[in-house]
Order: sequence, then structure tokens, then C-alpha cells
Amino acid sequence: MNMLELKVRRCATRLLIVFIGVLGTIAAATAAPLEVPPLVQPPGTQHYAGKVIWLDLVTPDMAGAKRFYGELFGWTFQDVSKGRTPYCVASLNGTPVGGLVQRAIGAGERRQPAWLTFLSVTDVEQAKQTVLGNGGKVLSEPRSYPQRGRQAVFADPQGAVFAVLQSSSGDPPDVLAQPGQWIWSSLLAGDPNKDAAFYRAVFAYQVFDQIRDDGVEHVLLASNDYARASVNALPPGSSGLHPHWLNFVRVVNTADSVAKVKTLGGQVLVAPHLDRHGGSIAVVADPSGAPFGLLEWTDTDAKEVTK
Amino acid sequence: MIRPLTRRFAPGLWLAAGLIVTLLAALQGCAVYGGGGYGYDEDYGVGFYEPYGYYYGGWGGDYRVGPWREGHEHDRGDRGDHGGHRSMPSIPTRAPGGHSGGGRR
Repeated sequence: MNMLELKVRRCATRLLIVFIGVLGTIAAATAAPLEVPPLVQPPGTQHYAGKVIWLDLVTPDMAGAKRFYGELFGWTFQDVSKGRTPYCVASLNGTPVGGLVQRAIGAGERRQPAWLTFLSVTDVEQAKQTVLGNGGKVLSEPRSYPQRGRQAVFADPQGAVFAVLQSSSGDPPDVLAQPGQWIWSSLLAGDPNKDAAFYRAVFAYQVFDQIRDDGVEHVLLASNDYARASVNALPPGSSGLHPHWLNFVRVVNTADSVAKVKTLGGQVLVAPHLDRHGGSIAVVADPSGAPFGLLEWTDTDAKEVTK
Repeated sequence: MIRPLTRRFAPGLWLAAGLIVTLLAALQGCAVYGGGGYGYDEDYGVGFYEPYGYYYGGWGGDYRVGPWREGHEHDRGDRGDHGGHRSMPSIPTRAPGGHSGGGRR
């Protein structure tokens, strides 16, 4: 082997090592999961299976969403973006209330921005198997995020999208939501009884039948002796309505909040009216079209609506 | 000179090419997962848009989806295996920070 050949070999070897190193670094940076913060600080160990413990808004306009929800509820935002996914965490007085994910909608595409509902589980893999065994679908395979925990996205047998989360910092405590925090969740379904059976299989809910005031089926899901969500037949006369989860933020005055939604560029989908607990609720949409509810809950609401 | 060099480096080059292909495939495998028609997000697996269209037209005054207040009696009870009727549960009402306002745990 002459000197030239030796030099070429050494040079080629070094280049190869550097190239593999660079590729490895790129791979690590790209494949590393997003570093989303923990749900609970300081961390706890309690898990409340079936409780809604997190929500992510998928929106094409994160800046607009920040303005809207910041003005409406006083939320503040912390960007934790990494790689190609703009993501930020919304907080109320330092307590995380949800995440915002930006995702573009292609030209000519008709997609519905929405809040994705995360339900607590103690074992994501087991939840996946139960979902699949009961007619659901996996939309996003289980994946771990260092501080948050392990999560996956599913669709129930009627097509409503939801996520499960095995929080590594435990679940938020079972306390009354403050104004500006999520307080209630409803699933609008084609067949509430079938859907209730599905969710009961996955989350071991207690299922309660409710009185029909309106001729359509309503079911209540509970765990740990707390009401977690209602399952309701799609409203009569609704058209093009896809089964979906709808989550409600607690407000002090629904009418005032609805007026504010309008001034901030949102829409009113269902006007304020009294609900079972004696307070007012409404359904609105943010400027990108993502629907959510407003629910007035005061400690002194005296009368329930029993009709 | 060219011929001996090619012969000597050939195994190394093939090895390098194999490594790179494997690395790229692994990278792709880590970054992409299924979408089921809803689309997917490469970095954070929840970038789902739902099917378009929310019209709540028939949501009238009698269509109620909210929670009951604690102690509500107009229920039909748990349909599960708990034996007998149970009162309709409400949402957690314990105040944050400790003082009890009706919590059950």
C-alpha cells in the first residue's frame, strides 16, 4: 500500500465517521418527542380513569387562537415547539389548561378544527386493545412524551375522536373547576347506548340513564363517584353533524362570555339557555371554527331544571 | 491505481451505504404513524382535524347535556352491577386547596 492509497483510505474513513455522526444527530433531533410539560406539579400518583384530564386544540391559526382564548379566558401561553410542530401550552394562573397544535389545512380541504379530549387511563396499551376489541380504531399509536406520559388517539365505533393519556405526573385533583377551566364534557353520538357500552368497556365507567325531556337518549358516565361526561343523541334537526366530543369551560356569566366571543371573531352555535344544573350553557366556536361550550356554574345556583 | 482502490474500498462502501439506508429507514419509522384518513402529525401525534361540519340546529331548550347538581333525585340509577339504584353523581365541587364543598374522596 503506497502513501497516497493510505491517505485516501484514512480520509474516506474520517468522512464516513463524520457523515454517520451528522445523520445520527439529525435522526435524534427529528425522532425525539416533543418536550411537553407535566400535567401536575408537583407530581402526584393518583389516576382517575375516565376523567378528562387534558385537551389539545388543533388549529390552522395558533396566533389567532392565542389572541382569542387569551382575551376570552385570560389564558397565557408558553411555546414548546420542536421540529415541524408548532405547539404551545395554555395556562390559567399558572395551571396548565390545554395545548394548542398548529396544523395547516390544505387549499380546498374541508377540515374541522377541534379540541381533542384526553381521558385518563392507567395503561395505554391495555386501552388500545380494549378499543380495538370493541369496534374502535387507532388513529395514532401509543407514544411516550418524557414529562407528560404515554398517549394515543382513537376513534370510537361511531367515529368520534378521543385520546387517552397515562400521565406520568398523576392526574389533576378532583376539585371544582375555576372560571376559565374545563368543567364538563359531552359526547354527541348517533347511538348513546352503544357508545356508552364502548366507553364503559374501555374506562370501566358507571353508566346512568337520564330522564328524556326531549325525546332523545341521554346517558351519564361516572367514575370515582363523580360525573365525568354525558353521552347524548345528536340534536334533533342537526345536519352534517359528526359524532364528537364537546367540552365546556366554566364561566361566570354565559351571556357576557357569548357577547365577548362575538366581539373576538367567534361564532355562537347554540344560544345561552338553562341546563340541568340550573345554570346557563352555550356552544360557541373560535375564529377557526373549533366548537366548545360555555357553562355557568355558581356555588349558589339554587334550582335545577327538572322538566 | 483506480482498480485496486475500488477493490479495497468496496466492502467498506457497501457497509456505509447499508448503514445509511438503515438509519434513514429507522428515522422514517420513528417519524410517521398512521392517520386513518384524519391525517397525522410527524412530531406530535395529535394533529387531527375532524370531518367538517358542525350544525347544532335542533339544540333546543329541552336538549340538555350538562351535569346534575349533587343530590338530584330524578334519576333512574346506575344500570351497572351495583345492585339497586344510586343517586345521580355530580361533578367534583370541592374547592381547590382543600376545603370541602361536596367532594366524595
